[in-house]
Amino acid sequence: MLDQLVQGFAVAMTPQNLLFVFIGVLAGTIIGILPGLGPMSAIALMIPIAYGMDPTSAIIMLAGVYYGAIFGGSTSSILLNAPGVAGTVATSFDGYPMARQGKAGKALAIAALSSFTGGTIGVVGLMLIAPGLASFAVSFGPTEYFALMVLGLTAVVSLAGRNLVKGLVSAVFGVMIALVGIDSQTAITRFTFDLPELYEGVEFLIVALGVFALAEVLVMLNRRGQGGARGGVTSLRLSRREMALITPPTLRSGVLGFFIGVLPGAGATVASFLSYSMEKRIAKDGDTFGRGNLKGVAGPESANNAAAVGSFVPLMTLGVPGSGTTAILLGALLVLGVQPGPLMLAERPEMFWGLVASMYIGSAVLLVLNLPLIPVFAKVLNTPKAVLVPLVVVFCVVGVYGLSFSVFDLGLLAPSAWSVS
Amino acid sequence: MNPHETGSEGAAPLRPLGGSGAAEAAPDAGAGTARTFAFRNRTVAIALAVVAVGYLVLAFQVPEYTAVNVPVQPGTLPRWLGVVLLVLAALLFFQRDQSAADEDGDASDDAAGGGDAASPAEPLRLGRLRDPRLEVGLFVAAIVAYVALFEPLGFILSTALYLGAMTVYLGYRRHVVTAAVSVGLPLGLYLAMSEGLGVVLPSGPLPF
Amino acid sequence: MRRITSLFPSTPGHGPTRSRAPRLTAAAAAAAVLPLALSACGSDGGTTSSDGTWAPDRPIEITAPAATGGGWDTLARTSARLLESEGLVEQSIQVVNKPGAGGAIGWAYVAGHEADPHKLFVTSPPILLVPMAGDSEYDHDDFTPIARLATDYMVYLVPADSEMETFQDLVDMVGEGGANIGGGSGPGSMDHVALAGAVDAAGGDAAAASYVPFDGGGEAMTALLGGHVDSAVVGVSEAAGMLAAGELRALGVSSPETVEAFPEIPTLLEQDIDFTFDIWRGVMAPAGLEEAQVAYYEDLFADLMETQAWQEESVSLGWTDAYQNSEDFGAFLDEQRTAYTEILTEVGLQ
Repeated sequence: MLDQLVQGFAVAMTPQNLLFVFIGVLAGTIIGILPGLGPMSAIALMIPIAYGMDPTSAIIMLAGVYYGAIFGGSTSSILLNAPGVAGTVATSFDGYPMARQGKAGKALAIAALSSFTGGTIGVVGLMLIAPGLASFAVSFGPTEYFALMVLGLTAVVSLAGRNLVKGLVSAVFGVMIALVGIDSQTAITRFTFDLPELYEGVEFLIVALGVFALAEVLVMLNRRGQGGARGGVTSLRLSRREMALITPPTLRSGVLGFFIGVLPGAGATVASFLSYSMEKRIAKDGDTFGRGNLKGVAGPESANNAAAVGSFVPLMTLGVPGSGTTAILLGALLVLGVQPGPLMLAERPEMFWGLVASMYIGSAVLLVLNLPLIPVFAKVLNTPKAVLVPLVVVFCVVGVYGLSFSVFDLGLLAPSAWSVS
Repeated sequence: MNPHETGSEGAAPLRPLGGSGAAEAAPDAGAGTARTFAFRNRTVAIALAVVAVGYLVLAFQVPEYTAVNVPVQPGTLPRWLGVVLLVLAALLFFQRDQSAADEDGDASDDAAGGGDAASPAEPLRLGRLRDPRLEVGLFVAAIVAYVALFEPLGFILSTALYLGAMTVYLGYRRHVVTAAVSVGLPLGLYLAMSEGLGVVLPSGPLPF
Repeated sequence: MRRITSLFPSTPGHGPTRSRAPRLTAAAAAAAVLPLALSACGSDGGTTSSDGTWAPDRPIEITAPAATGGGWDTLARTSARLLESEGLVEQSIQVVNKPGAGGAIGWAYVAGHEADPHKLFVTSPPILLVPMAGDSEYDHDDFTPIARLATDYMVYLVPADSEMETFQDLVDMVGEGGANIGGGSGPGSMDHVALAGAVDAAGGDAAAASYVPFDGGGEAMTALLGGHVDSAVVGVSEAAGMLAAGELRALGVSSPETVEAFPEIPTLLEQDIDFTFDIWRGVMAPAGLEEAQVAYYEDLFADLMETQAWQEESVSLGWTDAYQNSEDFGAFLDEQRTAYTEILTEVGLQ
């Protein structure tokens, strides 16, 4: 295996492929920061560029876009409470309070470090046990998925804070929103009021942006002071104690996230929420989650990156996409004349190992790229509120439109925000 | 949904209807956001019950699926959800309102590090209306107008209009900066999205 | 972002995804404001020259009535890219995504541009099936067929170690009431019709086959691998990797003749089951196009399919060429609708 990995690094380290890794993660990060546009749109939008490229370089670049987008999404979650991608909604629970407390730099640094760690755990997993995991992935049937969903919903109990009833009410509302659209089992429409725009349901991220970002903007309107959270935003240094504090959750969540990511149909979003509720339950200071607890940022950030890598397992070993994002990736590979599947490891080892090696490099590039940028990003918080408030709205609107190309979906933003304010 | 609902009862003296700064500061983990206005549990419970009943009426109109045997009918889950919501509303109705003191106690640690305590020179909040409810209504109306104009006027014009108008309304006085941002940002975003990413934003009457 | 793409000056993809998409009215207004930007902007109908031929005089817009990345989007972007890179069109081509309601949102959008010869969209069986389910206001009669381009077929899969050998074995299992068969789309949609039609033609009870819808063929195959369903019906191109690896085995394929990539898979016809099913893909335009305009696009797509680049890409995407001109395509659509209606009635879905 070491031989193969060395061979993989030889593939990934060519100047051309290094450039594509760099372009991929950079583009991914930028698209990810924009609220709404997530890895799925990011990859679909980068596909035209990938046409005509060498297939190995193309998948290296597109994979970079994927985990770059998940990485970038945390920035807007933390700074604006406007999740850049669905996988980073959980990050905003503690990341945004940290930013409000003037610890934006610290929160972003934790996000970067734990994303890096989670991504690396994922790559190690992909390298060591990918073929064996294929059977784990297919063993998940309807019963297991049902159990996973029940687990997810009960996790609400741990997120609900003091008032269990209100927590459950939000969970019920969430399921109600998810039920809108054509029932996939019977093709009967539910709660669509005969609006074709609702037939395919309501996008999770639109609700999240409305509930988190726009509602936060409404709150900002009435909050005292003109600036955002001022002061201390630039310090990203973590003390040794803080490092010790976030290490266990980062490692735990990385492993959890990887296995969740491997499951077809569950991805970075599920992984990050499960990690958040797991960490909250394990932590001795669990009741401070939601108020800027470092572990509440480290856990989900590690999990969502590990899950993004994990979702390559079913794609590369079975040739079946485990998520919407990998489905688009699969389509891109087919166009490039590559058929991922059980034969890929034997037939095109240079591609598999090149990808694995490029992921090590990509994670490192992300870290190196983002740490120096943190003070720049954090300046956003110094923007006068009168300017920042309309800007957040505009970014949400652009993101949602880019996600669905539909003004109707923009219309859904407002009621989502209204309903919680 | 949110432990800070009763925030206004501990209201800051200078703000007739808004919640106190402290109570609003913390997006909580469950709902992720703070309330602008406060309602008592009973009020919320009654509203929820009304929603639940409406939802149940709709749920019972979901047709049965008879063509092929299916284990779960499409209407089953919604009906149970409606019932559960009704039960939750009842529980909430009989729940004691958490005291305002308690609320402020728990929220204070968020605000402590918040660093946004108003200096005397700064206005207490954004906007111009006395009643923050109207303010929020106006704000939402502005978003609705922006979205409504999004396609007819195109992205650039509608965004420039929205940004400019909101920034000025919210009291930002450096008009040159406002103008630069309102024009530059939509143009830059449009170019990045359309040329770089191939995302079609509506162009409206502008020729590009 | 601009900087990134400009690193690839030779990338052919840059053109087709360019997203300046002036609307019909917008373009007219724009011409008054800034004539430079749209120098070729003429009347709405384009120019029909004296010899009766027509050519577009504005950018052509191809709508994919789905999100980026799916089958329709792939077809739209592939043909847009190749039409430009092969130099077959003088105007630029833009791909516009109008996802939602299984295609109905996109169809409504195109239908709103009646007689506009610069608005095409890509199409496949859902244009018949979605309206039949009552989920779209518009059906194929509301549009002008341009050309059928390519087709793919369905395979009926079982795990490699399954005891079933022929399609009849599956039908027998259905008869005993014990077969769960997965597919990648909802009940009453393409995969279900392909299954029910085949079972029915084999003399089985189509309504007794328990069809389990999954979110895409990939998930259906995963469930099959894990033993959660007994069989799955999936497009040949989607199943190619699994079949080549020997993880899954095909009981039959819905093509009229054996497919080139998998000559060992018997067709249903060879198993004395009188049923074929096409996953056809084509191009349509709004209603009310003139003959010269239709003729222009017929020739355009016929030329496209003769290019080397098209041949290469369609093979890697698993498409088989199946060109039909506007008239034949129209007649084909009518036949297909009749056939689908019969099958859905059989299952009790109509």
